[in-house]
Amino acid sequence: MTPRAAFALLLALLIAPASPLASDATAAAPAVAAARLRVVATTTDLQSLVEAVGGERVAVTHIVSPNQDPEDYQPRPQDLHRIKEAALVVRIGVDYDLWLDRLLAQADVPALKRGGERYVDASLAIALLDVRGSAVGPGHPHGSGNPHYWLDPSNAEIITGTLLEALARIDAANARYYERRRIAFLDRLKLRQQVWTQALASLQGVPLIAYHNNWAYFARRFRLNFAGYIEAKPGVPPSPAHLAQLLAAMRTQGIRIIVRQPHEPEKNARFLAERAGGQVVTLAASVGAVAGTGDYLSLFDHNVAALARGYSGSP
Amino acid sequence: MTDAIALLWLPLLASIMLVGIHTYFGMQVLARGVIFVDLALAQLAALGGTVAFMLGHPAQSTGTLAWSLGFALLAALLLASTRRLSSRIPQEALIGVIYVVAAAASFLLVDKAPQGTEHIKQILTGNILTVGGGDLFTIAPLYAAIAFLHWLARERLARSASGTSSWLWDFFFFGSFGVVVTSSVALAGVLLVFSFLIIPAAIGLLYADRPVIQLVIGWIAGAAASLAGLAASYAWDLPTGATMVCTFGLALACAGILRPLRRRSMASLKTAAGVLRGVVALCLAASALWLTLAPRSDQPLLDSFESLAPELRAAYMSASERAVYDEADVYADRHRLQIERLNTIEANSRWQGRALDDFEVRRISSFLQSYGEMRKGEEFVKREVRSRARERSRWWLGATLVLLALLTYPEAAVRARRTLRVRRQL
Repeated sequence: MTPRAAFALLLALLIAPASPLASDATAAAPAVAAARLRVVATTTDLQSLVEAVGGERVAVTHIVSPNQDPEDYQPRPQDLHRIKEAALVVRIGVDYDLWLDRLLAQADVPALKRGGERYVDASLAIALLDVRGSAVGPGHPHGSGNPHYWLDPSNAEIITGTLLEALARIDAANARYYERRRIAFLDRLKLRQQVWTQALASLQGVPLIAYHNNWAYFARRFRLNFAGYIEAKPGVPPSPAHLAQLLAAMRTQGIRIIVRQPHEPEKNARFLAERAGGQVVTLAASVGAVAGTGDYLSLFDHNVAALARGYSGSP
Repeated sequence: MTDAIALLWLPLLASIMLVGIHTYFGMQVLARGVIFVDLALAQLAALGGTVAFMLGHPAQSTGTLAWSLGFALLAALLLASTRRLSSRIPQEALIGVIYVVAAAASFLLVDKAPQGTEHIKQILTGNILTVGGGDLFTIAPLYAAIAFLHWLARERLARSASGTSSWLWDFFFFGSFGVVVTSSVALAGVLLVFSFLIIPAAIGLLYADRPVIQLVIGWIAGAAASLAGLAASYAWDLPTGATMVCTFGLALACAGILRPLRRRSMASLKTAAGVLRGVVALCLAASALWLTLAPRSDQPLLDSFESLAPELRAAYMSASERAVYDEADVYADRHRLQIERLNTIEANSRWQGRALDDFEVRRISSFLQSYGEMRKGEEFVKREVRSRARERSRWWLGATLVLLALLTYPEAAVRARRTLRVRRQL
């Protein structure tokens, strides 16, 4: 951290609790209306985090709607247009939104290329889980890991740090504004995280089953035990032997909760729940995937409440 | 074993019921030459379901069902009315057009409501493994009623199949078929329903001339293929629907190969065996050629022989090569175990004992990557040693394969000698 940035951070720390965000937002409003930075994020989760940092000075759009599978998204002509116009492009990385590479190549703007000043890979500096040591190709030096890292609220600190750096890079005049917003957001996040941790404390170590391995980071942060997955390989329906194994595990370990996302087939989850006496809990892995998950914080509010309810409701 | 039975008896029962009605419809479809009509009907039903979803009906509600059936009947109307009109264009072309347009239209609709993707999937990719008892109670009376109606109207339908009756009978046929397909595709998925429809009917056609006997043969073959598919998917831990489609395909292949046996004449049996030997010999000769031309590339035949009996490598690898190969194999396996061990430690630390901090997680990840690279290195060594040995011994290996080819199909040598003799005489 440069001395100047450190000073700004210190200043922000001193100011943030004293001045409510609304006042400086309204003060700046007339000036920014004309000059909002256009940011394109690949997912709604990143959109929400960019909005948390950028506030009134950014206009963020997402490319993949929540509940669509970002891993096989098919880009549209408008996407190319939006990317070309963007002041900043933010992606999940970790092979999650590989289709963006094709769009960026087509847009052919040097600053938007990998390593360019308007390109942000939000997975930078994240401690990845489930790394298998198999790099997909050039440009993926870290090899693929589990890409659902935004589901650990502590990772939001790292992601917003990366976002802050990028916003300050392209809009240095407002760097302090972004820093203040980030710190205020992290304060709110930390308070909420204490509540979430408390709410899920009784679930620590309780075995659960998930439809697909999306919850590694969430599990690590809240100390949850995902003991099995219905679809061990994404896109391949479970074999009878695998289902029998899961049923046996549910009976011997007393597993009562099966976690699925809204876009994952309910039938298979329900099949297990009916046979072994459990219940299906629908969680949102992305902002907006379920009603009432409008931003990053409410995403966790919803998931934590749904899990806790599922646990206390089961016999 | 009891686990397997508890899990598989409902899918088996469902398969038998589906085979029951689809074999009959399959015979009709083959007679009318509208092979892919089920795909068009199912896709249009899915489009109807998507429309229902956009209007706010929950999945599996009466509203959704009504919309799906409405669209399927619309497709039936379209198919029945165009059957007479399309003397210039084969009806199969129109069926294809209905299918692609319905598929594309549902994607366009879903584009407006992302949650709908799951909806279309639910309609078209059933999972036979997870059918419930309730599903069977709905389809059993439905199929029985349709079968009864078709039995009553059997003469009319036979005339409409040959195109000498009113289009209303065509509509009755396509409409009732649409109802069946809409329900069966939701249970078993498009691929499996297509197999249920065409393959048992085709096997029946191969072995009998009278429709009733064709139907019975189709039923038996379909039930047997279903049982084999379910058992194989349990035994080898494979996805059920895909396995069943493959066993149905295999059943048709076997039926085709064994068909000459039906006449109980030695001559036809000999021809069949000859063709089979010819194919085997051709494969052997082709891989001999491929081995001598490109010894370092994939050798499908040699590779599969070696994976069945690794001792075969001793034939063309020297003792030192074998030692290097085996050592690399041992190390590759050791690295794999290390990767698994580290993954287990990390996964368990998420909820058990002391939580690992980010630094420790990153350290594990970098170890995982190193082990992954080392394992790849060992695999490379194995491949390289094998390629070099093959390159060195390609001539005699190729010659052996050619010799094997000649042994399986000696007629080739005889014929070649005869041609040579004829040339010399000329």
